[in-house]
Amino acid sequence: MSRLPLTVVGGYLGSGKTTLINRLLAVDHGLRLAVLVNDFGAINIDAALLKSAREDTIELTNGCVCCSMAGNLYYAIGDMLDRSPRPDHLIVEASGIADPAKIAELALSEPEMAYAGILTVIDGINYPVQLANPRISSQLRGQASAADLLVVSKTPPDDPAVTAALGDCGSDPRVGADDAATVAGLVLGRTLTREAPAESRAKHPGYVQWSSTSPPELTRTEIEALLSRLPSGVLRLKALIADPSGGMWEVHVVGEQREITQRVKSGCAAVAAIGLEGAEMVDAIEDWWNSTV
Amino acid sequence: MAETRIFAAKKIITMERGQPEATHVAVRDGRILAVGGADCAAPWGDFTIDDRLSDAVLMPGLVEGHAHMMAGAMWRYVYVGFHDRIDPDGKPWAGVSTTDAMVDRLAGERARLAPGVPVFGWGFDPIFLASERLNRIHLDQVATDRPVAVMFSNFHLMCVNSAALKMAGYTAETPLDGVVKGPDGEPTGELQEMAAMFPVLRRMGIDFRTLSQSAESIAAYGQVAVRAGVTTITDLYSMMEDDDVEQMLRQTGAEDYPVRIVPALGAAGDPARVADRALRLRARSTDKLRLGAVKLMTDGSIQGWTARVRWPGYVGGQPNGLWNTAPDEIFALAEEMQRRGVQMHIHVNGDEAAEVSLDALDAAARKHPWLGARHVLQHCQMMDRALFRRAAELGVACNLFANHLWYFGDQHAARTIGPDRACRMNAVRTALDEGVLTAIHSDAPVTPLGPLVTAWCAVNRQAMSGVTLGPQERISRAQALELITLGAASTLKLDHEIGSIAPGKRADFAVLGADPLENGLALKDVPVFGTVFGGRVNRV
Repeated sequence: MSRLPLTVVGGYLGSGKTTLINRLLAVDHGLRLAVLVNDFGAINIDAALLKSAREDTIELTNGCVCCSMAGNLYYAIGDMLDRSPRPDHLIVEASGIADPAKIAELALSEPEMAYAGILTVIDGINYPVQLANPRISSQLRGQASAADLLVVSKTPPDDPAVTAALGDCGSDPRVGADDAATVAGLVLGRTLTREAPAESRAKHPGYVQWSSTSPPELTRTEIEALLSRLPSGVLRLKALIADPSGGMWEVHVVGEQREITQRVKSGCAAVAAIGLEGAEMVDAIEDWWNSTV
Repeated sequence: MAETRIFAAKKIITMERGQPEATHVAVRDGRILAVGGADCAAPWGDFTIDDRLSDAVLMPGLVEGHAHMMAGAMWRYVYVGFHDRIDPDGKPWAGVSTTDAMVDRLAGERARLAPGVPVFGWGFDPIFLASERLNRIHLDQVATDRPVAVMFSNFHLMCVNSAALKMAGYTAETPLDGVVKGPDGEPTGELQEMAAMFPVLRRMGIDFRTLSQSAESIAAYGQVAVRAGVTTITDLYSMMEDDDVEQMLRQTGAEDYPVRIVPALGAAGDPARVADRALRLRARSTDKLRLGAVKLMTDGSIQGWTARVRWPGYVGGQPNGLWNTAPDEIFALAEEMQRRGVQMHIHVNGDEAAEVSLDALDAAARKHPWLGARHVLQHCQMMDRALFRRAAELGVACNLFANHLWYFGDQHAARTIGPDRACRMNAVRTALDEGVLTAIHSDAPVTPLGPLVTAWCAVNRQAMSGVTLGPQERISRAQALELITLGAASTLKLDHEIGSIAPGKRADFAVLGADPLENGLALKDVPVFGTVFGGRVNRV
């Protein structure tokens, strides 16, 4: 069975986590998403999409499912792993003060799961005030610094006040909370495949994809060195690279998280990346890649 | 006419000022008809004398105001803790004080289990073992053909053998730090926090949810209560799904089920929905299952450096702890529960958490006056005189974690908040002096269930090293006994029904082998013969 990718949505109370999740459920991504939320009542499903609703589970006609995680979060995630058929992607909404990294750690330990990023939703208007509250500031900073993608609500993502408040935590890619299609494109599974078409520059609103076939053979150390120079703004990267001493390396990058595993199987070597749209993005990736080749 | 039964005892401690001691108590319809001498029921017609308890000292049935249902269910697995304990069937388990002794005990468990069945031990605390830190090599001596795991007493760490590591796919490459690696880069077997433990627990088929709710755990909870002399016990942070409620109603409703359970619904998420659920549950209450209160988690634990503490913080310079519920949410929940008439039990270990919770209760009380709310702060470990005074002013009860002084007192003095603040931890005397409605508790299974042990901790304030932490905060035996009866009953708003031996109250008694008011024997060593619950004798 394929590994279940886990994405955690963090952010303080009222920042817009549930709104974002509602939007992600509505985007046409063609995936059977599973969503675990704290507050079931706030999930807003179009009646036409509603298949069934029980005390703790809502099923959608498009195959998505939304569950309440009342009780133990980990066991609720375990239930998702055991669900048949297994969902394509799991999104967990962290509670308002929780550390999303703590939840996402399960994707690093559980062999049947794959890390698929932390999104932290930042309330563009209230974040500076919230950060000034010494009782919660360190946990809020923790949420922002754990993020692979910052989703800014209520103001433009590059709002100077937000940038100033985020400080050191603000270097991750940022996107607006109303741009759910971009968030979905960046984070959810389908758009990034190993079997990428030859040299493509597929362009979607909000984000760019880049891929290349026939990468050179590389050792683990060379791959690690290469990844350490990955341009900022690349949110995800997937690669299958031949090892000069035989076998293949499977490489996954999500935000700061890198996973390099040895595969005995042979396969078609390829590399694909996805990043936030920007004038220089594709060129930057291209330059980075060519620096090896 | 209903039968009247008079229990004769060596001595009866009533906890009633008017008549503190007696020798006989008359019971009719599960309630106390009269108390006094052999003739106490004379005005009430025929009676029979019951001599089954004539060798015992009776007290009001003890009340455990802060425990968890898991306390009974953990005994499904083998105990490997440092302290001696008694299981629900009455079997004594000597504490394990060396790694070899632990390996032996786990090997014994393996031999008892069917081939291939995982071996799971619990209650282990490495601070008591001087030897090398527990690792997979030790546990490989227990078995190599099946997973072996030892859960630490704090439930935040465990150690597993090589077979368990393999089952979860853990290798040197596993990127999570919680899967601890040794100098050779390989996993040592120690797993820290749930993210690292869960993949193993899942594959071993250990589900904390069923440990908290299965028929077996409800039954075991009743048994451990009887052995501790407890007739009313809480389950603080219960999920209370519909199926769970049915199960509990069925099981506690059985005539021979020996204890009254007071669960508190875990309060998280939308306050209005929490209140709706609590009120729906309250409507389903029975004598033996009292529903309707909620439990709110605020901060973490002091020994885990996750409690929210005020300046100057932790002595090791650790960052301040974490909120499980944000202060804004604490305010929102407090307001809604106060408005809707739902009693709250609020977990506060650190003094900042206590302060924020009192602020929230104060704000809620201004908006929605409710003199009888009797919300309860739970643990209250770092509260000082000023915080207790505020609690008293607000009518907020405090249930203090007296057992911590013995089990963790030395660690607090040395490593968490320093000797000065450790000496005023769980300041029961100050709480009483300030007029706070006070109780003391065990938080079982974190520390063992046993209100007399808890009372001993509050009376002596002795840490395991022998040092007395804040002698001026000690209380008398009589005060301590009141805290584990009427005090705890009051925090559950049941003091009109239980907590003392008086006409009209429930015929719930603790059956003891010695007089707990006599100074010769330490309170913790007073033998417990069992309980009487609703007039029914449960002798262990």
